[in-house]
Amino acid sequence: MTENAPQGSAALATLAGIKDVIFTPLKFNNLEVKNRIFRSSVSGRFDNEDGSLTQTRINWECKFAKGGIGAIISSYVPVLMEGRIIAGYATIHRDDFIPYWQKLGNAVHSFDCKFIMQLSHSGRQMDVPGVHNYARPTLSATSKNESLHGFLCRAMTLGEVHHTIDAFAQGAWRAREAGLDGVELHAANGYLFTQFLSSGINDRTDEYGGSLANRARFLLDVISAIRSKVGREFHLQVKISAVDHNNVVPWEKKGNTLSESVQVAQWCEAAGADAIHVSTGSLFPHPLNPPGGFSFETITATYDAMISSGVSTLRNYFLFRYPMLRPIFYWAWFRMKRGRPIEGVGEDEARAIKAAVKIPVISTGGWQTASRIRAAINSNACDGVSIARSLIANSNLPKFWADGHDLPPSPCTYCNRCLLNAPKNPMGCYEPLRFANHDAMVEQLMTIYNTHPVLQVPRPDEVVP
Amino acid sequence: MIREFPVTAVQEALHRRWRLLIPVYILLAIIVLIGIVGAILVLILLWQLAQNRTPHYADIIEEFKYGSIGTEPHSGIPYRIWRALPTLFPEDFAGRQDYSAFGFVYESDADGRQRELPIGISRRTYRDVDIVWFNCATCHTGTVSATMTDPNGRQRTGRHIIPGMPSNNLYLERFIRFLLNAGADERLSPDKLIAEIDKTGPKLGPIDELIYRWYIIPTLREGLLERRTRLFPLLGQQPPWGPGRVDTFNPYKLIQANIPLASLQQSELIGIADFPSIFNQGPREGMHLHWDGDNTSLAERNLSAAIGAGVTPDSVDFDAIDRVARWVKTLQPPPSPYQPDATAVARGRDIFMSQCSACHGFADSGGYRFIGSTIGQVEPNDKLRADPHRLDSYTEKFREFQLANFFVGTPHQFKYFVKTNGYANLPLDGLWLRAPYLHNGSIPTLAALLQAPGQRPITFIRGVDRLDMKNGGFEAPACDPSTPPANAFCFDTRLPGNSNTGHLYGTDLPEAAKTNLLAYLLTF
Repeated sequence: MTENAPQGSAALATLAGIKDVIFTPLKFNNLEVKNRIFRSSVSGRFDNEDGSLTQTRINWECKFAKGGIGAIISSYVPVLMEGRIIAGYATIHRDDFIPYWQKLGNAVHSFDCKFIMQLSHSGRQMDVPGVHNYARPTLSATSKNESLHGFLCRAMTLGEVHHTIDAFAQGAWRAREAGLDGVELHAANGYLFTQFLSSGINDRTDEYGGSLANRARFLLDVISAIRSKVGREFHLQVKISAVDHNNVVPWEKKGNTLSESVQVAQWCEAAGADAIHVSTGSLFPHPLNPPGGFSFETITATYDAMISSGVSTLRNYFLFRYPMLRPIFYWAWFRMKRGRPIEGVGEDEARAIKAAVKIPVISTGGWQTASRIRAAINSNACDGVSIARSLIANSNLPKFWADGHDLPPSPCTYCNRCLLNAPKNPMGCYEPLRFANHDAMVEQLMTIYNTHPVLQVPRPDEVVP
Repeated sequence: MIREFPVTAVQEALHRRWRLLIPVYILLAIIVLIGIVGAILVLILLWQLAQNRTPHYADIIEEFKYGSIGTEPHSGIPYRIWRALPTLFPEDFAGRQDYSAFGFVYESDADGRQRELPIGISRRTYRDVDIVWFNCATCHTGTVSATMTDPNGRQRTGRHIIPGMPSNNLYLERFIRFLLNAGADERLSPDKLIAEIDKTGPKLGPIDELIYRWYIIPTLREGLLERRTRLFPLLGQQPPWGPGRVDTFNPYKLIQANIPLASLQQSELIGIADFPSIFNQGPREGMHLHWDGDNTSLAERNLSAAIGAGVTPDSVDFDAIDRVARWVKTLQPPPSPYQPDATAVARGRDIFMSQCSACHGFADSGGYRFIGSTIGQVEPNDKLRADPHRLDSYTEKFREFQLANFFVGTPHQFKYFVKTNGYANLPLDGLWLRAPYLHNGSIPTLAALLQAPGQRPITFIRGVDRLDMKNGGFEAPACDPSTPPANAFCFDTRLPGNSNTGHLYGTDLPEAAKTNLLAYLLTF
């Protein structure tokens, strides 16, 4: 029996007719997902500059849907152009994009998979601003530059806050109109919601800053606005960081604690959220999210795409580029990982939040092994797990599990090269150990670009002089 | 170049930051500039502090006369100050612009100009400062005025410089007294000394002047005053040394060994003796060296002498000492210019062989023979009855100190010193250059040495380098110590340490036998 052969307990359970908990449906207030596996938010620069999505994105999402997961949480979808993290990600800021998203939803649904749109706003955490945004500081809860890259920002006025709340509600409405199965508010990992929530970032003195209740007001107002816009029957989940660990740059404050996040989760539940998705960290990427390695050679090859984005990026590039300086960044980055596992890195925090709320909890953070996921769900750490990197490596991972395997033959190594390539190169697996050669890797990356040549001659009224 | 507006907000922020930080950048640039200049200055200073170089001479005789053995760093005088002292203290230099007033001997260079430094003074650049001080030739190069045959067989009349013979001209005590007094003299204050330095050579640069004003001159004066405090009480209890003489061990005890004068015994305070010759050192290996025969190792004796000259364990130049030591192993004295009657010489040789050669070896046509049953052995002073002061100046206590403290833990640690009870029987090679005779130079001529003590000169002039062609030795007219002649030193055998008693060998020979013996001795 090899490592990847069907495992004893799973096989016996299957034989005995006992349903594997991974493959039992997960019922939310307004949504039922066929199993407990969610494709976590992940994307590449697949889409058009104006925010309209492309066939490539449809191909990308279908790849996972076909693999057997229960639901896809879309890539980061900005509700406003000023909230993009990377130009080239599809947005939901225009009504005329609804048909595109409808097409995508239909495609995913054709594989018996649900599609949840992640409504997002970058705030100050804008990696590649693009032509729409590079001429202005981004809007944020604060006017303090982003700590790691030195992205510029400006504290939103109250009018801008209200405008943004409305944009989220509009985004949710468009998602519902597109026939999608729900929305997730990305209130984790350093984006706009985190910038309001985190005590390490939010320095406002109005009703959106100060106490935890004030800092959570923006998120709760958005939930309320969405509920007002789309009603109580449309699935709405919230992704939060259980602990900020905001001091990756050592002189920054630590930010929110677990107990504060438990309180926020309870408030979200009360405000009308149908589920809590638990992550970690007040910036992205973060040493604990996604957990795993950090390839200096890879980041050196891709970080140049971000050098013009911030006032501290050149410093970082030198730290990445020169081996003599690398220990400085290595220390800052890896000191937080000590003693923590990669798989299930956020399990304990998810358990704490699940114990405090009645709605389902989804945990993210390195999940890849069936037995571990099963144990986490059975022990009430969470109700389901969301996965990105392991599914990029093996999009049919659920099928391996369904066949009784604990791990696929060539599992994700958590090298994080997929993440580090995101600002510059197509999304996909870049782990050289998983490919026979570079050409094989490129071939894998290109599979999602397999589009249909349905080019049309534009009508005269479509051509703008 | 056309000035462009920033394209992105980040560029605008960076431009704004640049403008805001211009004063900071200027400050940083100034700090960096100061840092660079400071670093360069520190490097220069470190380079200067690391400097320790000295000229080396291909010709071993030049090396002996002018090469350094490492005395300069801790005992020497900065060269620029050395040059300034004659004009600053004209009364001590007899108005001359050199150090010949103290008996230092100058040679001329190829162009006939007097060399800058006298024989026996070497120069070393230490921490980028040129410093001068003694070497082996200080005490072991003398002059003789006579008609001599040079190696080419030509007769040359005049003053001849003889490397290896005792420094019969050097009045070391007077030189030491001058320096120690100068340390307490206001003319050695920085203002006056620097002004004189600038007059007697290239003007000091501003940095050098600062270094001289605040470090070199104060350090020199401190050192001189400290030595003055230690040495003057000793010199006050001693008779004048006179030219060609030195107290080998007592200054050594006070300065190098740092022993307080009060802890010395009265009997050891006068150790004045003649500078010895250093011909033919090779055959002397294993013999008792020094006047009192207190050491049987040439290398250890050489190192001890170098310490007396001023080297320290930190500064000693072993290679230089070794080069000179190897050379003097075979250094021959020039042939005697005396031409005594051959018959008398033959008769005198018979007497010498029967009565003297056992202790002193002998000379024949093949050179000096270092053969004798007691040659190089210590003759108890109870038997010899010479002046005991030099013998008593080296004590068992000081010997123990030497063995316990000098070069401890190194291959050079002293171990051959012994305390003796007499004076060593010395080979007599180059005898014609070694007057006055006996260890303390108390007998001016060989003829006088063969006289009974009561008939030996009581007082005589020392420091004349003209040969006494009749009696052997240098001319030494009688003198009155109470009215000494100008520019001459009147040696008084009645003073402590100067006694001309002892060594009665040959004094009872008949006059004719003495004449024959003298004739033979003049050929050595």
